[in-house]
Amino acid sequence: MSAEAPPLPATPWRSNLSRLTRLPGVFALAAVLVAFLVGLLLVVAMGVPLGKAIPAFLSGAFGSGYAISASLNRSVVFALVGLGFILANRAGLTNVGGEGQIAIGGIVATAVALYGGVDGLPLGLPFILPMLAATLAGGVWGGIAGVLRARVGTNEVISTLLLSFIAVWLLYWCVQSEHLLRQPMTTSATLPESAEIPHSTQLPLLTGSYATPVTIGLPIMIVLAILVAVVLARSGLGFRLRAVGLNPVASARAGIRVASTIVLAMFIAGALGGLAGAMMLQGEQYTLKTGFSSGYGFDGLVVGLLARGSVSGVLSAALLFAFLRSGGIAMEMSAGVPTALVMVIQGLIVIMIAGAAYWLERREASA
Amino acid sequence: MTWEMLAVFIGSSLRLATPLLLGAVGELVSERAGVLNMSIEGMMLTAALAGAVGAWATGSPEIGLLAGLLAVLPVAALQAFLTNGLRANQIVTGLGINILVLGITTLAYREIFGARSRETIPGFDKWSPPVLGDMPVFGEAVFQQVWLVYAAIGLVLLTGFVLAHTALGVAIKACGENPRAVDKSGLSVTMIRSGAVMFTGFTAALGGVFLSIGDIHTFTEGMTNGAGYIAIVAVIFGNWRMGRTVIACLLFGAATALQFQLPAMGIEIPNALLIMAPYLLAFIAVAGLVGRQNAPPALTVPYWRA
Repeated sequence: MSAEAPPLPATPWRSNLSRLTRLPGVFALAAVLVAFLVGLLLVVAMGVPLGKAIPAFLSGAFGSGYAISASLNRSVVFALVGLGFILANRAGLTNVGGEGQIAIGGIVATAVALYGGVDGLPLGLPFILPMLAATLAGGVWGGIAGVLRARVGTNEVISTLLLSFIAVWLLYWCVQSEHLLRQPMTTSATLPESAEIPHSTQLPLLTGSYATPVTIGLPIMIVLAILVAVVLARSGLGFRLRAVGLNPVASARAGIRVASTIVLAMFIAGALGGLAGAMMLQGEQYTLKTGFSSGYGFDGLVVGLLARGSVSGVLSAALLFAFLRSGGIAMEMSAGVPTALVMVIQGLIVIMIAGAAYWLERREASA
Repeated sequence: MTWEMLAVFIGSSLRLATPLLLGAVGELVSERAGVLNMSIEGMMLTAALAGAVGAWATGSPEIGLLAGLLAVLPVAALQAFLTNGLRANQIVTGLGINILVLGITTLAYREIFGARSRETIPGFDKWSPPVLGDMPVFGEAVFQQVWLVYAAIGLVLLTGFVLAHTALGVAIKACGENPRAVDKSGLSVTMIRSGAVMFTGFTAALGGVFLSIGDIHTFTEGMTNGAGYIAIVAVIFGNWRMGRTVIACLLFGAATALQFQLPAMGIEIPNALLIMAPYLLAFIAVAGLVGRQNAPPALTVPYWRA
């Protein structure tokens, strides 16, 4: 027994790269299939005929132009959070704060759209400025965790998780208080939510028709995905992220500024989350309410995990989860299967993928 | 504030701190052993449902408690296996378990009780100790509590003693400080850490059962609503020490009690600020703004025998 041997050989790139995410694609697919199978079994166990549940699911996910558009918009949110996750993960950082970064983005986008005096500006600025402000704010929110990690050594998992809770309750505060973003109380029945943002600040629809409401968020996300792929594969920043993730000490010796790389990685991850929040608000919900970000950050994290570090993985997982969610909601409404079923499926996928990642690595290392 | 109000405030702070205290005791043990047990939230939720179902089906809260303890076993065993058998990422698997449990408990609750049931479930009666319970003003308001509150205090004292003064306590803490040394001394890191996770399951189950049949005698979907996370936060804010963790739990319980107390006293403080307080305080603590943080060095690091 060589007890002093390092636990994992520090060999090739791939070996240490992103422990969570490096897995044969086949395995991710298998995990998804098994989880779906369990989902089907649960539907049967609940006594809902599959002949009713499956069509309800399919029509909710793909049944109409509207359903497909809604799913695509949702996938944009998941993809943005997932892209941020893999980028930070390349530097060895685990960003579990997507939920809070979305919430901060939503708050700032609402504030700018309603009270920033942007309504009436030319050139699309009314909807661009809130998005930019939200992106910046999300970046700062994520960047805080990066600064703490780089300067104090605080585990970014703990700090992003705490920042998420803080952001979610900040949002609650904003929509509860008339001094903040709550719409003016006209009657006692006025809901605790913001006023609706002006039409000019809402994201333009690609087709111009509310029957197929795909927003310009989709092309923006695709451009960003390409950008992230290029940055990761071909840029100096991509190299620095990778080096810091592999071995921060060696990177520092080689002259890489480790601290600023960590802060930048968390800033970008948070910025993508903030942008996702702005798109949810300006592209779909139009008013800020309690529970605005509920579940989206977690789904984005799962998408990032499933993606195994690749941008194409993020896009496929984001599409999968977006259609899964839409189908799940339809299944609850027309077949009476609670959407909680979707949570079961997601939980199983996360557990299987995370559980097997280390196991496979271990076998590889000892082989 | 009158004496009566103060008494009610202390009593409800203690009651609201109890599930946090129960969760945090177990979480502290497992974190000292090197495992950050995120799934404590899911464990509490599992026990809350199983406790409610057991008590409702049999009419006996004691059987509900037993059902809660049993139902947590597979959840805790899964977490122990993932973190110590497969050496999987502790946080990610914990979050995965929580979303899985939230899904399963919601499905099970609707299957058993129907979608919008508000059925009352038999729960534990309140009890007050002699002498203390007979005190004027404070006796009833502070000390008349479900016996689990007193059990929690006993558990805290016992666990604190074991951690500080026994060989087992040394072994547990060593697993979080220097697992390789533990391994070399001939003890099994995997066994000790798994045992610590199972212990968290036990205390989290008590906390979960307290929520459903100790405190409000009903179950609602996702009723833990972050209590498990707050228990983790209490351990972080408590700087991984028993005394400070207990104080953190009491502080967080008091913050919750204030949400109901302040409006009654005509003081306007945003509700959100009080709900946010535990997270904000813990964040200030981990940000290193109040002295050094002494997290166990091997926390969240899987141990490989090599």
